[in-house]
Amino acid sequence: MAGFLIKRFLQAVFVIVAVTLVVSFAIRLTGDPALMLAQGAGSITEDDLARIREALGVNKPFFVQYADFFIGIFTLDFGRSFLGGTPVIDLIKSALPATLMLAFASMFVSIVVSIPLGIKAAVSRGKWADQFIRIISLVGLSFPNFWLAIMLVLLFSITFQLLPPSGMDGFASFLMPALTMGIILTATNVRLVRTSMLETMQSQYIMVARAKGLSETTVLYKHALRNCAIPLITYFGLQFGGLLGGIVVVERVFNWPGLGTLAFDAVGGRDYPVLQAVITVLSLLIVGVNLLVDIAYGLIDPRIRTE
Amino acid sequence: MIKQGMRTAFMALAVAGGMLAASPAYADGTLTVSSPQDPGSWDPVDTFLVNWSSVATNIFDGLTYRGPDAKLVPGLATSWEVMDEGTRIRFKLREGVTFHNGEPFNADAVKFTFDRLMGEEGKKGPQRSNYAAIDHIEVIDDSTVDMHLTQPDPVLLTKLAGYGAMIVPPKYIAEKGEDYFNAHPVGTGPFKMVSYEPKVGVKLEAYDGFWGEKAKLSNLDYRFISEPSTAVAELQAGRVDLVIPPTIPIGMIPTIEEADNIKVVTTASPTVYALRFNTANGITKDERVRKAMIYGVDRKAIIDAVLGGQAAEIASFQGELSFGFDPDMKPLPYDPNKAKELLKEAGVAPGTNIQIDIRGNNATFNEVSQAVASYLQIIGLNATIKPYETNVMLNDIIPQGKTGEMFQQSWGGWTLDFDNTAYLMYHTGEKWNPYDSDEKLDALLESQRAITDQAKREAILQDIAKYAADRALEMPLYNLNAIFGVSDRVKNFTPVPDSRLRLNEVSVD
Repeated sequence: MAGFLIKRFLQAVFVIVAVTLVVSFAIRLTGDPALMLAQGAGSITEDDLARIREALGVNKPFFVQYADFFIGIFTLDFGRSFLGGTPVIDLIKSALPATLMLAFASMFVSIVVSIPLGIKAAVSRGKWADQFIRIISLVGLSFPNFWLAIMLVLLFSITFQLLPPSGMDGFASFLMPALTMGIILTATNVRLVRTSMLETMQSQYIMVARAKGLSETTVLYKHALRNCAIPLITYFGLQFGGLLGGIVVVERVFNWPGLGTLAFDAVGGRDYPVLQAVITVLSLLIVGVNLLVDIAYGLIDPRIRTE
Repeated sequence: MIKQGMRTAFMALAVAGGMLAASPAYADGTLTVSSPQDPGSWDPVDTFLVNWSSVATNIFDGLTYRGPDAKLVPGLATSWEVMDEGTRIRFKLREGVTFHNGEPFNADAVKFTFDRLMGEEGKKGPQRSNYAAIDHIEVIDDSTVDMHLTQPDPVLLTKLAGYGAMIVPPKYIAEKGEDYFNAHPVGTGPFKMVSYEPKVGVKLEAYDGFWGEKAKLSNLDYRFISEPSTAVAELQAGRVDLVIPPTIPIGMIPTIEEADNIKVVTTASPTVYALRFNTANGITKDERVRKAMIYGVDRKAIIDAVLGGQAAEIASFQGELSFGFDPDMKPLPYDPNKAKELLKEAGVAPGTNIQIDIRGNNATFNEVSQAVASYLQIIGLNATIKPYETNVMLNDIIPQGKTGEMFQQSWGGWTLDFDNTAYLMYHTGEKWNPYDSDEKLDALLESQRAITDQAKREAILQDIAKYAADRALEMPLYNLNAIFGVSDRVKNFTPVPDSRLRLNEVSVD
């Protein structure tokens, strides 16, 4: 176990170095933050720009800047935002919970809906219920999330005036963003649960369970669902990573004060420290979730644990 | 395991619900404003964004003040006198004024403010360069200061009304420190800051001790919403009372006009749009070709059809609010036949390809450039539109002279003075002028900077505009209005051209 964890830790470090290195380098190719800061200020001279660059620290060689950033990760010191000088860690501290809560809420919506629907579709394979669920999930899969978001706002905020169209203030504000993300995830997950269930249902131990005279509910939820949980957990885990990527669009439409909004603004404003920090946190999360998935395997399936 | 996952998710939701409680109800006298950007710091020295100003104009005062009518009036200085051929300005300061923390406003505060702007703290920010003419402040007595200049700056009194010249409290900053001040600003304005949540919003409340007309609102809440459709949805849902520019695109005006209880209010703004020419290479090197292209595009039709009439035609790269604007100067008329003649004269074969570079993120301008391309097609030029990401265009394509034959430039200085535009666009070697070099234009531009006689300066600025138009350095397109979305519950609202929106006279039902 210790060896496994050390190996995974080194992998995580490698992933984070690779990702942040590429992002830090690429963003620096796209424009001068000093000019960004100064262009609204009217007349600027090359001296003014040099002065601002020095204050921002972007006059140092790239690898020095990168090394400063990387060492900072270990003390959670991500520097200061170029825009206004707020310590980046303060921005992350308020944005990370917002994003995580939205991500969990979306996963929750998706899991709660997709598992029963997937099982139903698998059980009634080929019948109208199965067809119906499959068509609905295909439709769900085809929605672009920004479009879905705008339609939800139109319906629930403007026509019926039931839900707040944007911002994060209270339970009601979670519903539309979580639903937007959740519906799209659900569409994929229903199909996955269905396929996985169908495979499991054909195995011999299900036949044994039925032969023992167990009720269909026990067979389904105790024997079948547990066994098909492994591919599902892998997939949900990976999905969580994808979810964090896709959240940028949804956060923007719903003006959600999370990491996506932070990243979007940071790219637009060439705010290197903020962007680097967001990317680091996101990579850490994705690497972390993947690690958890691996550990979870062991808990679910003792065979993997002994290997 | 899945059960556990659900439980975690449930808990996350429960925690979320508990932490955030219910949405706040609107107390009487609260105005909620949607602003497109969080400036990150409220320190006047750090700022460069117009949306700093839309909030901070309510918190801070300058020595001078300029309201919606664009007239310069006394602010924290009750009067001023220009001395020593424009190299010294004596200000009489308003007495009995206090900062929001109770600290008195006096000559020391003025000296501290400008020492700070021109010193170490100011060096880190972008504002200092606008005030480069200031050498030092001399305190004459508690309510009199002399501002010594290294050279006359005819626009300085205007610049003292905004941004970097806002007067800040010396004791407060010394006690609390610079970092604290960024997020907890204190000024002498009609509203004081209550709380600031980065990326979310800022809450202000009326300051009882304000020296001028006291605020009619008890509270002023700003929310940062950058996505136009989201801001308009909030306005429609009645959760936002006022959407300030630059947020609402032309295309969304009908949506607001059709909805109940909200309306669109517009006013002339300093923002002008032009397609500037690459005067160094290609067919646009020839002045006749540039003129032909201007004749060939019906700018009036574009304003009416694409911009819904929310813009005015321009003859030079400035709007009517600009000092240096000449009402007698008329735009070149739409005349496709003349355009074709000029092209023929210049030996440009029909079907010649040209490229128009634009900023890709502006849906309205995208349509405008397509209309321009269609008009150019009629006179025999095949225009390709090339969109760039805004920052790439501003930081690389234009300054490095990598544009096609034409490129988008939108501009609008808050000082409303043509010097700010013309010098940066036309003077040799300036960042926004990668192609042209004209000795006569350089001399004109430099000459007006040293003059304090405003009438003389205005005449020179008008000459500059005419000269640039004669040489056809750009295709002037239009002067766009500032567009506000306003709820009907907002009373006594006056739109401002420059985002410096002071809301002490506004009230709500």
